[in-house]
Amino acid sequence: MTEQDIIREFLIESTENLNRLDQEIVQLEQRPNDKELLASVFRTFHTIKGTCGFLGFGILERVTHHAENILSRLRSGDLRLSPPLVALILQSLDAARKMLAAIESTGTEGTDEFADLVQRLESAATAAVTEAAAAPPDSSPVEAEKASAAADTAIRVDVGLLDKLMNLVGELVLARNQVLQFTTQKEDGALNATSQRLNLITTELQENVMKTRMQPIGVVWNKLPRLVRDVSHACGKQVRLELDGSGTELDKTIIQAIRDPLTHLVRNCCDHGIETPEERARIGKTPQGVVSLRAYHEGGQVNIEISDDGAGIDAERVKQKAIEKGLCTPEQAGRLSEREALNLIFVPGFSLAQKVTNVSGRGVGMDVVKSNIEKIGGLVDVVSRVAEGTTVKLKIPLTLAIIPGLVITSSTERFVIPQVSLLELIRLDGASAGKIEHVHGTPVYRRRGTLLPVAYLNGILGLQPPAASEAVNIVVLQAEDRQFGLVVDGINDTQEIVVKPLGKQLKGLTIYAGATIMGDGRVALILDALGIGQRSGVLAEHRDEERAESQKKAHSTAEKQRLLLFRAGSFERLAVPLSLVSRLEEFPQSVIERAGGSPVVQYRGGILALLSLAKVLEPDAPDDAMDRDPAQVIVFQDGERSLGLVVDQINDIVEDAVTVRRQSGRHGLLGSAVVGKHVADFLDLHTVLGTAGGDWFAGAAGGARRGTVLLAEPAAFARGLLHSELQMAGYQVIEAAGAAEAISRLEQGGIDVVIVAEDLPRAGSQEVLDAVRRRPGSERIPLLALASGPVQGRPAGSEPFDDCQSKFDREAMLRSLERLAAALEHENPVVAAARSEK
Amino acid sequence: MAIVVDDSRAVRMILSRTLRELGYQVGEAGNGREALEAIGQFAPVDLVMADWNMPEMDGLELLKRIRESPAYRAIPVIMVTTENETDQMSAALAAGANEYVMKPFTKEILIDKLRLAGLPS
Repeated sequence: MTEQDIIREFLIESTENLNRLDQEIVQLEQRPNDKELLASVFRTFHTIKGTCGFLGFGILERVTHHAENILSRLRSGDLRLSPPLVALILQSLDAARKMLAAIESTGTEGTDEFADLVQRLESAATAAVTEAAAAPPDSSPVEAEKASAAADTAIRVDVGLLDKLMNLVGELVLARNQVLQFTTQKEDGALNATSQRLNLITTELQENVMKTRMQPIGVVWNKLPRLVRDVSHACGKQVRLELDGSGTELDKTIIQAIRDPLTHLVRNCCDHGIETPEERARIGKTPQGVVSLRAYHEGGQVNIEISDDGAGIDAERVKQKAIEKGLCTPEQAGRLSEREALNLIFVPGFSLAQKVTNVSGRGVGMDVVKSNIEKIGGLVDVVSRVAEGTTVKLKIPLTLAIIPGLVITSSTERFVIPQVSLLELIRLDGASAGKIEHVHGTPVYRRRGTLLPVAYLNGILGLQPPAASEAVNIVVLQAEDRQFGLVVDGINDTQEIVVKPLGKQLKGLTIYAGATIMGDGRVALILDALGIGQRSGVLAEHRDEERAESQKKAHSTAEKQRLLLFRAGSFERLAVPLSLVSRLEEFPQSVIERAGGSPVVQYRGGILALLSLAKVLEPDAPDDAMDRDPAQVIVFQDGERSLGLVVDQINDIVEDAVTVRRQSGRHGLLGSAVVGKHVADFLDLHTVLGTAGGDWFAGAAGGARRGTVLLAEPAAFARGLLHSELQMAGYQVIEAAGAAEAISRLEQGGIDVVIVAEDLPRAGSQEVLDAVRRRPGSERIPLLALASGPVQGRPAGSEPFDDCQSKFDREAMLRSLERLAAALEHENPVVAAARSEK
Repeated sequence: MAIVVDDSRAVRMILSRTLRELGYQVGEAGNGREALEAIGQFAPVDLVMADWNMPEMDGLELLKRIRESPAYRAIPVIMVTTENETDQMSAALAAGANEYVMKPFTKEILIDKLRLAGLPS
């Protein structure tokens, strides 16, 4: 059986079918409600279409597909058979015949794409809905008997029409508000009664129109069984899906908005939550896991819970991961409650998956889930118990179009704050009015023992503050887990407001969420809590910056570093602390000589070896830095040794606090950090100079001029920088990433000074201290602690360590080291003698 | 022994050819009713691949009959549906189909689906 045989069979079969269709369509015109006939016509198109797909006849497939669409709508009653429709279907038949003839003679469908026909078929199918709404199909008595009661009372209505209705009701609500306000000023009994009636009817109408836009959440859920099945198959798991409350209704726009987040969450349950059948059997669970979804109304909102009975999330692991990813510092992690730690999974860039699967684990998703839910005014929370399972709870508003809001005034303007972002109102008058304090220049209010950052709406909007205010009104707002106070001039009342989107020109203003029309017919802008918070600086503008901000505070790199910025190879922004650089030089090509195959220059009475940095960083890439005239050289010097690092261009010297972004796996780089407003890659001098020649640090290895330092620092980036600094200062450095490693290195002996970072995880610095002090022979080794914060103000002698310096104050650290080493020599000649023997 | 059920002879030919290449013996039926006859005639049957939309008895009804029959209920059934009919897929799986496959499909997809249904491929 060849392809030819199949195509011949297809041609015969299709021609038979088309001939029969001719008759059937004509009959259909006479008996438009004959369901059997309609089904048969539909099926014939369907069959041709399905076969075309296999044989690759795309045009024929397209034409029959669109014809089938129309028939499908005829069957469902969305569309009434009309003479133009019959004509259109018959034209499709003719087109199909032409293509079949072409296939028979040439083997292809021909070049005519029947684009015009397809387009007319398409528009006929989409026109279906509105037409049906305008004129519901009259049904024959026989059919009416068959049709279910539900079908009789339901009609399809275009969503556009519902949107328009909703809009009109919104307008009506506004007009009602205006009328009510107007009547309160009049003493007219009849007018009052009428407006009360108008009030009631409007409210009822609003409720009912809102109901027409409601859809059961099952609309989204019915796609989930297949998803769960496919995902669990793909992961080799057994998962049962339980749905409870699929009749719970939500506004259509909200249904659409939660579709993707829900899908993602369920996917996550199957992929990460539920264990493999083997694993489940091992820990005594049934091999089949359960993912259950529950939806219910509560307090004018809809709660949706997505639970699994899987492995649960280990809060400690989440913290660890967050620290690894640089999303928080160990101290910050230590302060988090279990619940706060679990919510870290919603931070951008976080993923707990051990490996990236094709289902999930790319670290995008949970943050998108959260931001999508928050965009529609919802809340996300997660609770989890290890080995028992995880539940994600969503709180979703019923509708977005009409929301309760608080009307406030600032200067002479009125604004509305959506009730969902509102936490509480605080009024300070009399003696308490002055209770707003300033911490580091930021106004704060001491609320029940915690500091609440405060912003002034007048200041944010550039409005005139009122002449004299006897009281201060603070509206406490919530935006993305953060709370802040907004000082406003007056608080009016709460109202149901109709949200109108802002025009194109104003869309970019993040401090406004929309506009509404007030009872007196004037427009008021709706404030966006998040936007206000960001604008005022109470909330950092971007999460990344927020993180950088908090890290800055934690590390307090207020001790700014001077950095040399330069370019080499494909690295546009490389940085090295200027303190490590000896000189910057330009050497004309004419003075560059070769010695032993390597480029050198005569420099200050000696010979300076030159090394191209690009060669170290990208050994395989072409490199022309060496050929530049003059060559740009950074000179590093350590005692008698020196090396010239050739780069493409020296860009700048900046003074800035360094905030580590991420660590690098690349040979010769420590990692990247934000310098100024841009990211720069930090050079790992230790490695780079090491590649220059085996003897660069040979002196240090052979006999330390200044002694051997054990450096215990958890962050590889800081460790690398400190290593370079110490090395350049003449110390031999032994690195340790944690307390255990440090202690085991200590046991091996030969350590003169221990430098230990205070933020070594789990009281590690204390452990190291104890180990040094207890071990016989090492109890006198001086310990220098490095604080991530500033050390000014710490009372001298209060430290258990011999000294404490800031991690980023290189000079102070080196001075302290020298002092400690000297004191040691002076005090303990045995140690000093032992060291000089080496 | 596999039974291919589709109202299009051309589609039956395509499916039969593919299944034969995979080592199956194949019988054909043009609708659900014919399929039930074929199953009785060819028993034991290892696989039924049934189209959804067919005259006289559609694929879903066929599936239900097979699952209700004490003699045939264990026969693996793969439902063939048309693209994007997710409701059909869910309904097919709910009614006891072992797998579904969307038209048009390649031999590789069919092999995957057979594998998922635990059938020789």
